[in-house]
Amino acid sequence: MKSILAKIVVVALFFPFFVPAASGAAERSVALCMSHMSNAFTIEMSDAVRKRAAELGVTLIVNDGNKDAARQVGQIESLIAQGIDGIIVEAVSVDGIQPAVNLAKETGVPLVTVNQKATNQENAVSFVGVSHEDGGELEMAEAAKAIGGKGNVALLLGPMGSDAQIGRSAGYKKVLDRNPGMQVVFEQTANWDTEAALRLMENWLQAGTKIDVVVAQNDGMALGALKAVEDAQLQKEIKVYGLDAVPDALAAVKDGRLTGTVSQNTSAQGAKSVDVMVDALNGKQVPKEVIVEQMFIDKANVAKYLK
Amino acid sequence: MAATEKLVMRGISKSFGNLRALNNLDFTLRRGEIHALMGENGAGKSTLMKILIGIHMADSGEIFLDGEPVVIASPREALARGIAMIHQELYPILDMSVADNLFLGREWKRNAMGPLSMVDRRKTRRETENLLAGFGIGISPDAAMRGLSVAETQLVEIVKAVSQGAEIIIMDEPTSAINEKEADRLFAHVERLKTSGASIIYISHKIDEIFKIAETVTVLRDGNFVASRPTREMTPELLVSQMVGREIDDIYPPPPPDRHIDGAVLEVSGLSDGYRFRNVSFQIRSGEILGMAGLMGSGRTEVAECVFGLTPKTSGETLLRGKPADVRSPRDAVLGGMALVSDDRKQKGLNLAATVGENISIVSLEECSRLGIIDRVRERAGVDEYMKRLAIKAESADTPAASLSGGNQQKTVLAKWLMAGPEVIIFDEPTRGIDVGAKREIYQLIRELAAQGKAILMISSEMGEIIGMSDRVIVMADGELAGTLDRSELTEEAIMTLAANLGPTGKGVR
Amino acid sequence: MKNRVGKYTVRELGIFAAFIALIVALAVVSGGTSISPRNLVLVIKQASINGILSVGMMFVIVSGGIDLSVGSILAVSGVAASMFAHPGEYHLAIPVALAMLVGLALGCANGFLVAFGEIPPFIVTLGMLTMGRGLALILSGGSPIYNISKPFENLAGGFFPSAGFPYRAPILSVYFLAVVAAGAFVLTRTVYGRHVYAVGGNEMSARISGIRVGLVKMSVYAISGALSGLAGLLLASRIVSGNPNSGSGYELDAIAAVTIGGISMSGGAGKWHGAVIGTIFIAVMGNGLDLMGMPSNLQLVIKGAIIIAAVFYDIRAKRKR
Repeated sequence: MKSILAKIVVVALFFPFFVPAASGAAERSVALCMSHMSNAFTIEMSDAVRKRAAELGVTLIVNDGNKDAARQVGQIESLIAQGIDGIIVEAVSVDGIQPAVNLAKETGVPLVTVNQKATNQENAVSFVGVSHEDGGELEMAEAAKAIGGKGNVALLLGPMGSDAQIGRSAGYKKVLDRNPGMQVVFEQTANWDTEAALRLMENWLQAGTKIDVVVAQNDGMALGALKAVEDAQLQKEIKVYGLDAVPDALAAVKDGRLTGTVSQNTSAQGAKSVDVMVDALNGKQVPKEVIVEQMFIDKANVAKYLK
Repeated sequence: MAATEKLVMRGISKSFGNLRALNNLDFTLRRGEIHALMGENGAGKSTLMKILIGIHMADSGEIFLDGEPVVIASPREALARGIAMIHQELYPILDMSVADNLFLGREWKRNAMGPLSMVDRRKTRRETENLLAGFGIGISPDAAMRGLSVAETQLVEIVKAVSQGAEIIIMDEPTSAINEKEADRLFAHVERLKTSGASIIYISHKIDEIFKIAETVTVLRDGNFVASRPTREMTPELLVSQMVGREIDDIYPPPPPDRHIDGAVLEVSGLSDGYRFRNVSFQIRSGEILGMAGLMGSGRTEVAECVFGLTPKTSGETLLRGKPADVRSPRDAVLGGMALVSDDRKQKGLNLAATVGENISIVSLEECSRLGIIDRVRERAGVDEYMKRLAIKAESADTPAASLSGGNQQKTVLAKWLMAGPEVIIFDEPTRGIDVGAKREIYQLIRELAAQGKAILMISSEMGEIIGMSDRVIVMADGELAGTLDRSELTEEAIMTLAANLGPTGKGVR
Repeated sequence: MKNRVGKYTVRELGIFAAFIALIVALAVVSGGTSISPRNLVLVIKQASINGILSVGMMFVIVSGGIDLSVGSILAVSGVAASMFAHPGEYHLAIPVALAMLVGLALGCANGFLVAFGEIPPFIVTLGMLTMGRGLALILSGGSPIYNISKPFENLAGGFFPSAGFPYRAPILSVYFLAVVAAGAFVLTRTVYGRHVYAVGGNEMSARISGIRVGLVKMSVYAISGALSGLAGLLLASRIVSGNPNSGSGYELDAIAAVTIGGISMSGGAGKWHGAVIGTIFIAVMGNGLDLMGMPSNLQLVIKGAIIIAAVFYDIRAKRKR
């Protein structure tokens, strides 16, 4: 009895793979596999992809990986088994995505990575995104300029070991190496979390070390740090920089509270990935890498980005 | 090997902190005898046995096994030397089979790969079958332990001990949770063990059992050796007086001469719960002690718990003071003036995580509070009063309930209910597992409560208790009321006849 | 009891001694900064959100249950409140009431399923942990809700008294102390509180003693839920946004605080000051380690070790009895 049940479960689990691939319809269907759908960045990204796909007449299926690398790979396996024409992936994990990238190559389904490269990127058709290192360099260079290349810096980092954290930290280092007058007095991860950044900043302000500028690897953490700075009434003494250009950060830049942020041009990344995919499906030669430019936003140019 | 002494413990002393648990104690066990170890709770029986099986180390004294001096440092070592204990509360692994339990920790293996070896199921099963057959026990090796009765579990435990080569088997109150028929079967097995050469140390509070099966009895009191002699030279009265250290002419206090029994306080008619008992009717009058007798499993506790609203009924009516009472939960019962002193005080009576005081006041909190806020002075006064009235031996009301002895825990449960001032009190095995001295105090208390006009239902498996205390007795058999006996008709035979359903009205035919 | 010194058990004194030792050690290492009055006020403030959750958790754990959903309920309430906290839209009372009601409702759902559905609390609240996070993401559309009114921001951001006094406490810590005071009073001085202990200590015996066990069980989850709602409101105010990802893992901090404070996971035992000391213990440690610039990954290791040590000590102390 038990074993029959077990067999039914096993068959049910693998059933999608036994089904013959869907018959090739005239209309092309492309899947977007997002790492998750629970922050402003991923929402903006998926909205841009949807919009562009609609403009180009491509049917789009959106899958949410829910921050689970194994699940994302499973989703891609199912999509390929069901005969999808192409896949755009915003990976949960650059390492974890590798089997899916290989499978796409073997089965001849074009796969484009967006925002984050896969570790085995050579097996994907193309990468559309930004360089985290460039973004970090841009942000830190503006901060260095603002304090004249001299002063104490506090760094709020993303989750240690994440691609964005490693890249942006490398960009920071480039600028800091060029400016020996800048001292890093605090450096800690707040895991992208506003409350954690707020608490860290409050504690740092207690330590009695002078801080001239706070450079955060995303806007959520920058806004947390800003709140601590404002609570301590040190907004005149301490400049705060963020990255991502989320709406509240833009509003804070406009009000002169946040000194600056960096736009990753998320919508452009999303739109561009669809363009590259359509080219690939049409048999055109596509570049292995499409880098979307990032932009620094401060009070001078913020109006252009406020919707 | 000429000596008949299997085990000699000499000059054993043991202290816990300032408390001297055993004081220079001697104990001798002969080969192939059943040796009863008697004493009130706290007399030192279990400490002595724990030393023997290596749970505690004696502070001083010697142990000789077959004439050889030995040191027993752990239960494992005790087992290796052939000493096994059948505990009062058994903890088999319920979801394993009988066979797997028997060979737990010494599984038959098909290959030698340490913990990774494969268990030889066939051999395990065959060996179990042989062992059980050798004892004449009709339990399947594949039966799950969960499905076994307490008595069957005990037998499996005994078989396990013997199969491990135990030559000394300690049995701690083996009959406390089984019925008389099962007890008789157990005694037969114990006799058989004895003839096969094993020695048995038998701990029990039930004096009649001792005279049934033990050849020798050793009495301890307050950690001291009192006497050790053949049972045939003993009388129950002598044994009790040695245990308590004074003569107890009659442990059941007589009813006061001026008492009077009034009208019915609780009337139950046609009560059924759908499967464990049917159509039970009785009434208890003010000032009356109604005994409820019957074999284990005859449905007595179930009736009491149903009357109290703990389990649902399918039909039947309850009247309290002549008015219909819709008792659907214990809360309804408590509000209606009922109390249930359960047979299982650890499960159903006490909160062992709380203090004595918190346990005592829990039912009466609403009376000593205003707007839901406790008046701690009033609460404490009430608690102290009842602790004093019941002579509860605890440092203060703040003492954790878990640290009290069994008798004092039972008194704490009583204090809880008395403080609530109930009119109907149901006692379910009120003296189970407590020593003779505390028993007497509880009987005295039940008498006093009756004298104050409370209506009392007392469920008991002890014949002496039923006969000694009850004004009237109802007897349950197989989930039905088999009959009622007035005080003048109360004899052991009359009760047993009804309980075993052998009477003229009974269904059973001999 | 040999394990007592005056009113206190050795266990309680042990955690208190460890607490003092921690404060002294951090004071020495930080050269006194960690015990400056300003820093101490800050620590209490940072302990407040977790402290409020811990008080609710204490009710649940004393009753013999567990509530894994507090972090998620916090997120739902915070998001729900923020949605009605944009400048010039609704009166401040609307988001405040909403947060508490959302928390209360989800807590009641937990309680109902535990008490009357007879599903183990671990399972019910594990389900609510996941559902609550989902609800928060759905309500917020996945991204934080920004553009919060000033009065809403001042709920947790202000000081008490509001102005004109030389010594002012962050209002967040005032909420915390108020919740602790109310929780402690209810748990120790009321009939209801005693019933919570009784149910946790021995449910069967509590039932036979006439206690409405079902209602008591349901109510503790309702209390925990409402306090999670309050915490969600305050957190949203503190970070000036309703973030659907807030509070993930907070349930573990609350359980850790209660555990470090010596409140038995098996129910029926533990004192309110245990939960407070446990909460502040965690905050002091985080604050001190931040001041020293210790990487947060290492902080996690230390925190975990302390939780295990606390429970180890607890069990050892019990066995000695």
